[in-house]
Order: sequence, then C-alpha cells, then structure tokens
Amino acid sequence: MPEQPGPEEDVGPVDGQVEAPVDGPVDGEAPESEPEPVRWQLGKSHRKVDAMERMRGITRYTDDIKLPGLLHCKILRSPHPHANILSIDVSRALAMPGVHAVLTGEDLPVPYGVIPWTPDETALACGKVCYVGDGVAAVAAIDEDTAIAACEAIDVEYEPLPAYYDPEEALAGDHKINPYAKRGNLSKDVVLEFGDVEASLEQADVVVEGEYYFEGTTHGAIEPHCAVAQVEPNGLLTVWSATQVSHYLHRELAKVLRRPAHTIRVIQPPLGGAFGGKSEPFDLEFCVALLAIRTQRPVKCLYTREEVFYSHRGRHPMRMRYKTGFRQDGTITGVSARTFIDGGAYSSFGLVTTYYSGQLLCAPYAFPAYRFHSTRAYTNKPACGPKRGHGSVQPRFAIEVQLDKAAVELGLDPIELRRRNDIGPDGMTVNEFKIGSNGFLECLARVEAASDWGRRATLPYGRGLGIAGSTYISGTNYPIYPNEMPQAAVQVCLDRSGRARVFSGANDIGQGSNTMLAVIVAQELGLELDDIRVLSADSDLCPVDLGAYSSRITLMVGGACLDAAQKLRRKVRAAVAKRWELPARRVTLIDRKAMDLEDPSRSVSIVEAFQWAEADHGLLGEVGNYNTPKDRHGSYRGGTIGASPAYSFTAHVAEVEVDPDTGVVEVKHIWVAHDCGTALSRRIVEGQMEGSAYMGFGEALMERHDVDPGHNGVHIGPSLLDYRMPTFLDTPELHALIVEAPDAQGPYGAKEAGEGPLHPSIPAIANAIYDAVGVRLDSLPFAPPRVLTAIDDRLALEHAGELPTFKLGRGRAGLASARAAGGVA
Amino acid sequence: MAEALLSLRINGESVHAAAPAHWTLLEVLRYRLDLIGSKQGCDKGDCGACTVQVDGEPVLACLTLACAAAGREVRTVEGLGWSPEASNGCHPLQDAFDRWDAAQCGFCTPGILMSAEALLRKVGRVVTRDEVREALAGNLCRCTGYTKIIDAVVDASEMLAAPRDET
Amino acid sequence: MLRLPQFGVALPSNVDAVVALLRDNPGARIVAGGTDILPNLKHRLDEPGMLISLAQVSELRSIAKLAHEGREVVEIGAGNTLTRVSEDPLVRELFPSLATAAGLVASPLIRNMGTLGGNVNLDTRCRYVNQTKFWREALGGGCLKSEGNVCFVVPGGRNCVAAMSSDCVPVLISLGAEIVLAGPEGQRVVPAAKYFKADGLRHTVRDDAELTTKLRVPVPTTPRRSAYAKWTVRKSIDFPLVSVALRFDLKSDSVDAPVTELVVVAGVLGAKPRVIAKLDDVIGKPLSDPALSRIVCAAVGKQCKPLENVPYEAPYRRRMFEVFTRRAIAELVAAG
Ligand SMILES: Cc1cc2nc3c(=O)[nH]c(=O)nc-3n(C[C@H](O)[C@H](O)[C@H](O)COP(=O)(O)OP(=O)(O)OC[C@H]3O[C@@H](n4cnc5c(N)ncnc54)[C@H](O)[C@@H]3O)c2cc1C
Ligand code: SF4
Ligand code: FES
Ligand code: FES
Repeated sequence: MPEQPGPEEDVGPVDGQVEAPVDGPVDGEAPESEPEPVRWQLGKSHRKVDAMERMRGITRYTDDIKLPGLLHCKILRSPHPHANILSIDVSRALAMPGVHAVLTGEDLPVPYGVIPWTPDETALACGKVCYVGDGVAAVAAIDEDTAIAACEAIDVEYEPLPAYYDPEEALAGDHKINPYAKRGNLSKDVVLEFGDVEASLEQADVVVEGEYYFEGTTHGAIEPHCAVAQVEPNGLLTVWSATQVSHYLHRELAKVLRRPAHTIRVIQPPLGGAFGGKSEPFDLEFCVALLAIRTQRPVKCLYTREEVFYSHRGRHPMRMRYKTGFRQDGTITGVSARTFIDGGAYSSFGLVTTYYSGQLLCAPYAFPAYRFHSTRAYTNKPACGPKRGHGSVQPRFAIEVQLDKAAVELGLDPIELRRRNDIGPDGMTVNEFKIGSNGFLECLARVEAASDWGRRATLPYGRGLGIAGSTYISGTNYPIYPNEMPQAAVQVCLDRSGRARVFSGANDIGQGSNTMLAVIVAQELGLELDDIRVLSADSDLCPVDLGAYSSRITLMVGGACLDAAQKLRRKVRAAVAKRWELPARRVTLIDRKAMDLEDPSRSVSIVEAFQWAEADHGLLGEVGNYNTPKDRHGSYRGGTIGASPAYSFTAHVAEVEVDPDTGVVEVKHIWVAHDCGTALSRRIVEGQMEGSAYMGFGEALMERHDVDPGHNGVHIGPSLLDYRMPTFLDTPELHALIVEAPDAQGPYGAKEAGEGPLHPSIPAIANAIYDAVGVRLDSLPFAPPRVLTAIDDRLALEHAGELPTFKLGRGRAGLASARAAGGVA
Repeated sequence: MAEALLSLRINGESVHAAAPAHWTLLEVLRYRLDLIGSKQGCDKGDCGACTVQVDGEPVLACLTLACAAAGREVRTVEGLGWSPEASNGCHPLQDAFDRWDAAQCGFCTPGILMSAEALLRKVGRVVTRDEVREALAGNLCRCTGYTKIIDAVVDASEMLAAPRDET
Repeated sequence: MLRLPQFGVALPSNVDAVVALLRDNPGARIVAGGTDILPNLKHRLDEPGMLISLAQVSELRSIAKLAHEGREVVEIGAGNTLTRVSEDPLVRELFPSLATAAGLVASPLIRNMGTLGGNVNLDTRCRYVNQTKFWREALGGGCLKSEGNVCFVVPGGRNCVAAMSSDCVPVLISLGAEIVLAGPEGQRVVPAAKYFKADGLRHTVRDDAELTTKLRVPVPTTPRRSAYAKWTVRKSIDFPLVSVALRFDLKSDSVDAPVTELVVVAGVLGAKPRVIAKLDDVIGKPLSDPALSRIVCAAVGKQCKPLENVPYEAPYRRRMFEVFTRRAIAELVAAG
C-alpha cells in the first residue's frame, strides 16, 4: 500500500514563485539584439585557473593548514554493529598528560541530517551505536599519538543487540536500528504509477523480467576527510572542511552547536576529490568545532583511510526486480520496478535516493506506462548516500540490461532498439518532467561510428561490444530546504587594472567549477583566464551557494555568473560606445580589447574600457542570480524530486575480452558520447567524461563496499588495498566524444557533464560480456568467479542441448571440446 | 617522546629537523618542514599520493622512515620547479599537465609527477603510452581515468626530447 | 594518519653491526625496504622497541656470479631492491622466472623500495589479520596471529594458516636457491625449500637474531625453461592470489627435448609454499608433450588447496592454480 504522503514531499516553494531579477537595460538603452557573440573563450581548452599551484605542490588542502597551537582530534569508534551504550567513562583519558578535552554524544545531542525532514544522526552516538565505526567519543590532544592513546583509555560499556545486514530482514526484524526513525527500520517507501502498467504489459509482445543486484561501492577520493576549527576571541568560529557542501555544513553546524549562523564561518579549502562522499556534514566537523570552543585552541581532525570507509555515504546496494514490455518493433509498452534499497544506519540523502531510484529513469526512452515501488531500509552498516550519479546508476544498470535482453529476444540491433524508443527533445516524460534539448540520438550515432559497431557481428567468441544509454539531471529544480531565495548567486567585480574577481559560494571539488566561472567572465568581458581571480566557498566572503551535488553548478552557478558578467559587459560596452559615439551593439569585448565590430581596426585596451566604465558607473561590481523554472515537474506528491531544468544524455559502447577459462573480463575500450549541452571548456568536459567512465568501470569489475555478516559486521576491507580501484594498467582506453545539444536553460546552452557519463558504463560492460560469451551478469561486480560460473552454467546447458552453441564456429572449437570432455578448461 | 635531529638533503639543499624516530619521511616533510606537496591518501603503500624521489628513484614517503633517508638525496614536487629542465618555475611535466588538464583535484598529482619525472629521466626519449602506464601503476588517481595524465606525460617527453633532437 | 608505534631506529653500516645489534636487543626487528613491516606495525601487529634499518648496509647490495663449492652460483644480496633484481642482466639471463616474479611484486614504487631479503622474509598474510587494530577488535578481538586465540579461517584450528604471499619465494625454491643467514653463531645456509614452516605465526626457520644476507642461486647446468605465473585482480599493487613457479631442466635446448628434472612450487596456500610432489612420471617426457602438461596440472589441482585466508573464493583459486599452470607451460612451449 502506498504510504500516506508525508510533509517531506513538499520540497518545492509553496506559493509565490521566485523570479530571477530582470536586469534592466543600461542607461535606458533597449536590450540589444545582437548576432551570436564571438566564441572568444567558449568551447576552447583552457588551463585551469588553479591547477598550476596544485601541480607545484603549494595549494593548501585542509590537512595542509598550519595554525599555532593546533590540537589533534581522534574519534573513538564502535566495534559493535548494533549495541546500546550502557556507560562511558572518560576520566582516565581526561587525566592523561597532553589531553585537552573529551566529548561524548551528550555534548552534541542535537540530531541533524542533510535532508531537513530526516534528522536522524547525532555527531557522536547518543545511547546506542548502529554500525561498526559509529563515532562514540572524541578527544583533543597535543598530538595524534596522545589522542589515540586517550581514545583507548575511554571505557565504554556496550550491550550488544542483534544486527541486520539485509534490508528485507531489517524490515521484518524486531529491533529498531536508528533511534530517530519513525517507522521501525523503514527509512522511506515510494510508490508511483503513471499510466496503466498492468495493461501495458499485457499488450506487450514480449515481456522481459529480470532481477538485478547492485552491490555497494564507495567514492574513493584520494584525499581523506579533514576538518580544522578555530575560535577567535570575539567568538567567531571558523571551520575549514574538505566538504563539497559548505552551506549545508554551515546550517547544520549552527543547528547542532546551537549558535547563530553569523557566528560561524565555513571555508572549503581546495579539495582532493569528493564524488558525493563529502556532500553532507560528518562527525569530525562537529567535533573539531566544539573541541575548539572548549579548548580555545585550533583543533584538526584527519580521517584515516579506514574512517573514510566508515563515513561512506556511497552507492546504495539495490535489489531490483524489473518487468519491461516491448512490442515486436522494439518499442517499450511499459515498465514495472520493485526495488529494495539498503540504506545503512542513517538517512543521509536517502529520501531523495529512494525517489531517484525510480524518478530518473523516464528518459532517454519514452515509457508509455511506468510504475516503481522503492523501499529503503535501515541496516547496521555505514550509511549510504549520494555517489556520482546519485540513485540512478543502479536502476540504469537494470533497465539497460533489460533492453539488451529484449533486443536479443526480438532479434533487433540494440542500438536500433534504443533509437526506436528515443523520447526526443522538448517533450515530457511519463512522470511529467519537461525535457529540453536532447542529443541522445547523436550520442548513439557517435559511439556507433567510433566503435565500428558493425564488426560486432563477426567478433569471435570471447570478444564483444555492448551499448547502453542514459540521462541525468543538471541540478534539481528545488533545493534541499525550501526557500524562496535564488538557487545560485555570484558576484563579479572588475578592476581598473583590467582584472576581474569572481566571488562564488560554489565548491570546486576538482571538477573545475572555478575555471568554468572564469571562462564565462572571460568570454563576456574579453579577458584571458589569467586576468581573473575566483574566490570560492568561503561563507564570509562569498555569496551562498548550495554546493557541488546533483550536477548543478555549471547550469546554475554558471547561469548566475553569466547574469552578472553580462550586466558588466553592458556597462563596459555602453561606456565605450558613448566615447566612440556608436550604438553599443557595435562594440564587442575580445582579446583584452574593446573593439568596433564593423571596423576591427578601431579598438581600445580593456584596461581603458574598464576605466571609462568605472568613470561612468562607479566601481564595477554586479551580482548575478539564477533560479530554476518552476514549471518542469510533475503535479503529484513527490513530482518535484528529480525534476531538473535540463537533462544531459549519454551513450557508451564498451569493448570487452572475456577469458572463458578464468572468467576474467578485460575492458579494452569505452567510447563515451555525452550531450553536455554546450562544452564551455572542452578538456574539462572530456576529463569529466573519462573520469566517469573510469569510475563506472571500476564498479562494474572490482569494487566492493560491504560488511561481513558472518563476522560481526566488520567492513570487508576498509583500505585502498582491499577496496580495489583500477590502476593505470587496468583502465581501458577511454574515448570522450562530446555531443552538443544546447539547452535554453543553461549558460550558453550548457548542461552537466560530471555525473551523467558514468551511468552507461556498467550496463554497457554487462551487455558486452553477453555479446562476448553469451552470459548475463545481473549482479555486480562482474568478478572472475561469478563470470566463470555463469560461463560454466551456459556451457552445461549448451552441452545438454538446452541452449544453442553461442557464436558457433567463431573461435568456439577448442573451448567447447575441452569443457565438454570434462576438463576444467 | 625523544626527538632526534635529522640532517636531510631535500631538493638539493641540506635541511635539519627534529622529529621522533618513528616518524615517516612523509610526516617530516609535511608537518615539520611544511613541504605539503607530498600528500597522504592511505598512509600504507596503497595509493602513491606520497611519492617522492630518493636518490632519483620514486618511492613512497609514507613507508620510508625519515631517519633512514638521511644521507640520501630526497626530491619532492616542490623541487621540480627549480630543476634544470624547468623554466619560469615550472617543469615541462607540470606545464604539460596544465595544458592537458591532467590534474582535476590535483591530490594525486604531486606523486604522479615524481613517478613520471623519474620515468622520463630514465628513458631519456619520447615515451610510449604503455611505458607510462607501467611506470605509474603504483599511483592511483580517482578523478581523471588516467587518459589525460598519459597524454600529458607523453607530451612532456616530446617537449623534453625536442631540443635534443634538434642538436 | 595511520600511526606507527613508538620505537627507536638503529642505522648500522655493516652486517656485523646488524648481528651485534640483533644480539643485544632481543625483540628488535629488521627493517629493509619497510614495505611489509611498516604497514604491519601501523596495524599494530607487533610493537618492537627498536628497528634495525638496513638502509646503510651497502654490502647487502651486490649481485655476482662466482664459483662456490665446485659449482657456479649467483649470489644476490638480500638488500637489493626488487626493481634491481628484475632488471639485472645476470638475473634476467640466468633466472628469467625470478626476474619476472620480482617485476610482478606490488607496484613500481614498492619494487623500488622493497628488497629481495624482505620479500623472502615477508610475513604471512590473512584477511583477518592485515587490518587495523580497531578492525580486529571489532572482529571479536583478533586471532592467533594477533591479539586473540582463535582462528577465523579454520574455526577451532590451533595453527595459524595465514598465506605465504611472496612472489619470489616459489621461484627461489623452484630454482634450488639457498638462503644465507648471518647470526651470532656465524653464517648458516638453509635451502629455500627448507626455510619455510607450516606455521603462520613463525613461518621461517630464521632465528630472530639472524639476518638474511644473500640468496645463492645455482646457475643451471642443463638447458632450462622456467616460468612464474601470478593472478591478482588488478594488474598492479595487489598481492598474489594464485602463484605458481615452474622449472624444467631439459636434455637439450629444445622444448621437444626430454625433461630431466622439474620443480613446481605454489604459493598463497597456507604458511608454507607447496612443492608439488609425485611428478616423477613427467621425467623423460618432452616439455611439449601434452601429456606432461596434463600430469603437472592434475598434480597441481590435487595438491594445491587454497584456504579462505585471502580474498576470492578458495574453490575458484584452486581451479585457477591449474589453469595458470597449464597456461605457463603452454607459453613456454610456444616460445620454443
Ligand atoms: C600495497 C602493497 C602491495 C604489495 N604487494 C606485494 C606483492 O604483490 N607481492 C609480494 O611478494 N609482496 C608484496 N608486498 C609486500 C612487500 O612490499 C614485499 O614483499 C617486499 O619485498 C618486502 O621487502 P621489504 O624490503 O620492504 O621488507 P621489510 O618490510 O623491510 O621487511 C619485511 C620482513 O622481513 C624482515 N627482513 C627484511 N630484510 C631482512 C633480512 N635481510 N634478513 C632478515 N629479515 C629481514 C623484516 O624484519 C620484516 O619482518 C606489498 C606491499 C604493499 C604495501
Ligand atoms: S589463519 Fe587464522 S590465526 Fe592465522 S591470521 Fe588468519 S585468522 Fe588469524
Ligand atoms: S599515502 Fe603513501 S602510498 Fe598512500
Ligand atoms: S586528480 Fe584527483 S585523484 Fe588524481
């Protein structure tokens, strides 16, 4: 039964939509209609504004911050997957020389959560622990060794409780894991139906049914989480944190520390990777903050790699049952999905994940009818959350394999089958999301050509090509907490020396958002990127931004930046036009000059142009805003969740070699075509596409984030040795093919490129494995033992005459005879 | 905790620092000498973020005892900028990484640069993509998918080889 | 960070000084490249008061061919890095399988640090032990090899079966190498095949007060084919999960010539490498004879019983021992 809609679904503003302020024409001049602006910076490849200093080793990441009198914090963690805390005695620890303060759960009792409707975490455990690694107490000491020794001197008495490691077991279990949960171990349940799914399946010529399992994976940013806090004599608390959501951290710090936000400054130093793993507050930030307040000394906490695995918030394990109906021509009649989501001990973004697991599936293929039922449960594991491609990478795996199975059954080329289901541009999905630009068909065409798809028909046994497609959001239409303020705002100032500064709250996490802002300002004001200084993610200096998640920054923050830059451009052009006695429309800014478009020999340096403009208008500073359109979502409860201003599209072809004797899968190539709207900076876009494909590839073949139910719920390997991330030698050749279908919502038409390109990796590899050896891998990862078992099973069936010989005559002879003869290989 | 005075050679200069005997070279570099370019990603040999060169060979600073590095030439990413190949405080590898956007978050980059520099020096000619893969196989990067890094290292080897070819 | 326990470090400059330090400081441990012992110390598997570093013992770094007791041998100093061993022209020419194995250890960075002596004395490994102290506490308080008194691999077992995980050891045994030790009593030579014991807590016969000074490998006296096969999930960094060394001495320099002697050794089973027995039927058969491959593979499959001490299912690895052996032989035959 569908649950009663809760208040949390009202994530949109209630009434009174917020419009982005309309910028009035400068000096009473009518807004200029002008030819397409010269692509001066746009779409080029740029040196990033902040890469050289990283390369020279002088960038200060959080752990590189040095402060006088710095104390070190360590957090004592629970060795139990589920237990009541009967008592904590910190007296021995406190008495140790060099120990300055000790905190326990009672010092920070206010529950918080990144989603305001599910505050179900406390900074340190209050009364009970919910997974191995849960924080119990925190120590500030003169150095790390002393802090560790003090942690060992804290006496905690636990009363172990039965633990659950499987969502369905947890839902049926008697013991409630999360003390703040309202409905037992049910974290979230969503049922949505669009159209008549049962009828659509009945009308289908073919119904493909499948059960898929996506094992958990984690982000694996090379920089471990780190936070530093300091209090000034006037009470101002500064927290530096390796976070990708400074603003939400700021809000939660205010809430948990019970102090007004204006007494807290949050700074995100340059970040060593995040991928979603740093997109909510963690215990260390609260602990260093309170310890700094208590000790009046700066305090730092740096997670060990093991602690990074416990903090997790990675990809949710999902068990997915899919039914998909197809007509003979390959078009989809309807889709039905039942999904169990393993949430771990806390909600994190789980409410959103539960929606995303269904809501983000309704493109690039038109679903005439669709139903999904997703259930997220608490378990005694590190909490899951958003990882690159939040909530939709798992169902994308399922649906793309479903399509591949249908293509086989219907005797259709799988690319052709996808083409026939393309939803196209400017349409509406079955769940009522409005789609703008859509370059999916071009993505398919590009990977088809680049991979030389035609050779698929003749590839020998053991080699295969697989295709998959996907879509993703470019930001969400509504922020995490309802408010009527703009979704993004940027401030840009011009200097009379010919430089510009950009103040932005956005978190550059390595994806290059600072450079993206500089490209926009450079494009509009005729500057080089070197002329621009971007100051970002400092709550005292920069406007609020909501953070680096949901692939929102290019579209939203870029949009706000473009707004500000265009206002300045207008002022500068007006000042030049006035002096040249020309209409402003004839003045362009390019190549560090203001130039007459009709007489390029007439120009003035940008320095002088800025000075003229400053003389006319005073100090040149403008703010820009971006707000989402409020007409693109569904008109049902939950219909705002997953709605985006614009959608990106991707297609992958993977080429694999499967060793039928060992089950080892080698991915040779991945061709990634991605419609990012407009590529503002080409190499950065390619880098996002390559990095995404890489990450998906690792998840497909080797990465495993799980606990061991047979051994007290310990993590199966919380280290970069046991959690295998592909090395230089493992990674396939990645071919990034940029597709541009500009969207009216994005700056210059730009959409996202950071998360979308991951999605098809996994199903493309699964489908390529089928093409190579005729076996379906419906569970991740495609580890050699699993692949080998599948091959064995198929060979046995072939041998028994129950299945045809796969790729008969194409390199099968040796293998078939060896296996049939009863040998292992 | 007894601290010993260490005499090290770092980036061609003699440096002295007091540190406990159980400290690794990585700790001494980062927390005593403020040479923060060498990064810590795992602290036990699994990631390569801490790669520095000792006597010209790339090694892991997180598994090197600082006192065992005494008397040997330690080279860190900070020293690349004033190596003989550098111009304007920037080594050809750093320049190539910048042009190729081979650093995204840049956290793996110092270590990768130190491995790559050793490769280029050892090979002394234009390197192949496979040679780069082999030489960098102990350095993990989570951002780039490695493609642009390989591009940049090959490019830098061409830049370094170009003047040699002309003569 | 992952902290090391506190210890003092001694930096002797010759073998005699190392021996003296070992004698005078019971409980002291040798650190060579540090790539095994330092992670283990960070995991608090030991807390020695003193580490004796071999960093300055340059006499451990030679590689030389010489005559010894009437036969030709190559002596490889224990302090040579694995990079050096894998690239050394003498090693590559005379012991290609050793060069291969050394070149497959871990990653280039670790091979630049790790030594052959460290690789031979590499501690045994187990999924339940090579973790942090906190992790082992969560597991239930460690096992025989750490803080506890149970075994998680063999429940009820009283003997630790952690895996000998060195890449070079199976090869050294297959080549008939000898391990030269220096100790308070002077020098001692142990055949590599007798160096290891089936006890994961102490899997070598080396006394705590001894150090390995060199590996003495006899130069082949007949034509020979040798190989080392390793399987891991990633192509770099990972410890072996399947590991087999093979050596075939031949009557003449052709794969079609009869095999006069053969040794096949498997690693990553229990604490002791396994020398495959009952291969006598193979003697006299040409290396290229498919029957030879069948017999060797069958023996490997029968005698190699991987345990759940390292990742990836034991039955799978058992099957792979056979597959990798077959492939190694096929490659030797194909190479001619
Ligand atoms: C990420 C990672 C991956 C690895 N992968 C592999 C792998 O694939 N294959 C593999 O074989 N190993 C691997 N190793 C382990 C290790 O790097 C190698 O075995 C290396 O050869 C150890 O040599 P070392 O000099 O660093 O040893 P150390 O750590 O210095 O010493 C290892 C042990 O041997 C003792 N010892 C060292 N030298 C002597 C001596 N001369 N005499 C007596 N005792 C001595 C030490 O006391 C210590 O107990 C890996 C390590 C890491 C961190
Ligand atoms: S084999 Fe048993 S005793 Fe030995 S390390 Fe593993 S679990 Fe511990
Ligand atoms: S920090 Fe040294 S290898 Fe990871
Ligand atoms: S650039 Fe981020 S880890 Fe390599």
